[in-house]
Order: sequence, then C-alpha cells, then structure tokens
Amino acid sequence: MLDIYVWFYTGCALMILGSIATVIGPGVKDPVIRTLNTEVAAVGVSMIFLTYNHTIALLTFVASTLIITMILLRAIVRLEEMEAKV
Amino acid sequence: MTGAEVLVPNVVSPLVVSIYKPAIVVGLLTGFIALLGIAFKKGDLTALILTDLVGLAMLVIVAAVATDLAEALVLPGLVVELAEILAIGEILMSREMRKTEKPVGLIPLPLSLDMEILDTAPAFLAIILVVHGCFLTGFTGGAVAGVGILFYVLSKTIRGVPTHIWEGIAGISGMAWVLWLVGFLLFFVAPQYWLLGLFLSACGIMVKVASKVGLIGVMGREEFKREK
Repeated sequence: MLDIYVWFYTGCALMILGSIATVIGPGVKDPVIRTLNTEVAAVGVSMIFLTYNHTIALLTFVASTLIITMILLRAIVRLEEMEAKV
Repeated sequence: MTGAEVLVPNVVSPLVVSIYKPAIVVGLLTGFIALLGIAFKKGDLTALILTDLVGLAMLVIVAAVATDLAEALVLPGLVVELAEILAIGEILMSREMRKTEKPVGLIPLPLSLDMEILDTAPAFLAIILVVHGCFLTGFTGGAVAGVGILFYVLSKTIRGVPTHIWEGIAGISGMAWVLWLVGFLLFFVAPQYWLLGLFLSACGIMVKVASKVGLIGVMGREEFKREK
C-alpha cells in the first residue's frame, strides 16, 4: 500500500495550489472559473480528512461542498441576470 | 512544538502528532492567501467565493486536532460555513436586486420546467424522507428529513408554495429548541432518567436540523409572495 504520508502531503499541496489558483489563477476574472478552482482546494481538504480517518466528517464535507458550489453558482447566475456590477 | 508533548494524551497516535505541525501550517497558509485575495481583489462576488476558501482553511486546522474531538468539531464547522455562505450570498443578491430593480427568478433555470411530475412526485418522496429521518433521529435524521423538506420546496417553487408553511416551521423549530434544553437539563438534574433525556435531545436536535435545512425556503419568502 501507499504510505499514509503520500495522501497527507498530496492533500496539503492540492490545498495550497488550489488556493493560489483561486486567488490569482488564469481566467479567474470569470466568477464561474474562480468557483470551480475552489474545488481543487476542497479535494485537498478531503485527502487530509482521509488521512485522519474522519469518515463522517468526510461524508458531510463532500455533501456540503456540493451544496456550497450550487449556492455560489446560483448567486453568480442571478447576479449576471440582474446585470449587476460586482 | 517542543513544549507541547506534555499536553498530548497517550491515546493520540504518534502519526497524528507528527503531522500536526504541517497541517496547521498548511491551514494558516491557505487562510492567509485567501484573506490576501479578499484584501486586494475588488468585487463582492470575489469576496464571497474567497470566503469559501477561508472556511476550508478553518476545517484543516480543526481536523489537525485528530481523534473523535475533531470529528465532532468539523460537523458544526461545516454547518456554520454553509449558513455563512448562504446568508452572505442572499444579502448580496437582495442588495443588488434593490439597486437594479430587475426581477429575477428564485432559482435560475434555463428551461421552464412546468411538468406534471413536479406536482405528484415531491409529496411522496418528501414523506418517505421525513419518515425515515424521524426514525433515525439525531443529527443524521435531521439532515435526511431536511433534505425531504428542501426537495419538496425546490420542486414546488416552480408552481408556487403557500407562504404560511414557513411560519409554522419556524414555530416548530422553537419548540424543538426547548425539547433539546429540557433533555440536557434532565442529564444533570435527574441522571437516573438518562434514557428519557437522551431521546428528548435526539428528537429535539432532529427537528432543529431538519427545520434549519428547511428554513432556506424562508429566505425566498418575499419572492414567493411576489410571484403568487
């Protein structure tokens, strides 16, 4: 089996890369791309939870990330429909 | 962390202790990057998306505690993060709506999904989910029952939902809070009735969580009123 540290440090790397990508990544002027970039960091958090054996926390986290993405996309689409300058 | 070894109990595995420091550093670094982004980038929508990132950093710091304590702390953290994003997003949208005075749909859909199945299926599925949630009780049961309520609302919004339902849900939520408190009081006042206290707390938290998820409908109340 793979060493447990592989999961942990992959998670750490994904998290830092994902956060940098969300803040100054390519094409983040489009809010949809910025939202999708946060998913990279979310996968990193999932891997860190996996290292610690936080099963219920991991399941709830996956579900709540999905809901948060839906909320953010709904906010983006509605604001664009209003033609608001944000 | 040289002085910290004293405080770590023996039940914590050495693996967890060895990765505590990198986990905290990663959490702080991510939070710092996200907050820098909020400080330097313009726009409310950007700040909203980066708030999500700050929440993720918070979760890693909580997870680094490891053991069951972290598991118990991550769940409320997730709920708080969800509520925070929802509330900020809703405030942002209502402010812009007032500014531009342009009516938009509650849920932006590319199609007009006015189908017969949206009238018949939601009630059946919602009843199954709510009954199953009541059977489970506790936090999980609340989440299941809440998903049932939410599903019912989201399917019915296209045809219009009666607003007085939401007033009732808010009232039930208050009563559940009392049940929960009485349950906890019983643990201390009369420990021999611990089973009764446990069930009071479990049912209370079930209704509380279910109505929390269902309360998303209350936010759309003004829109329901406007449409129907």
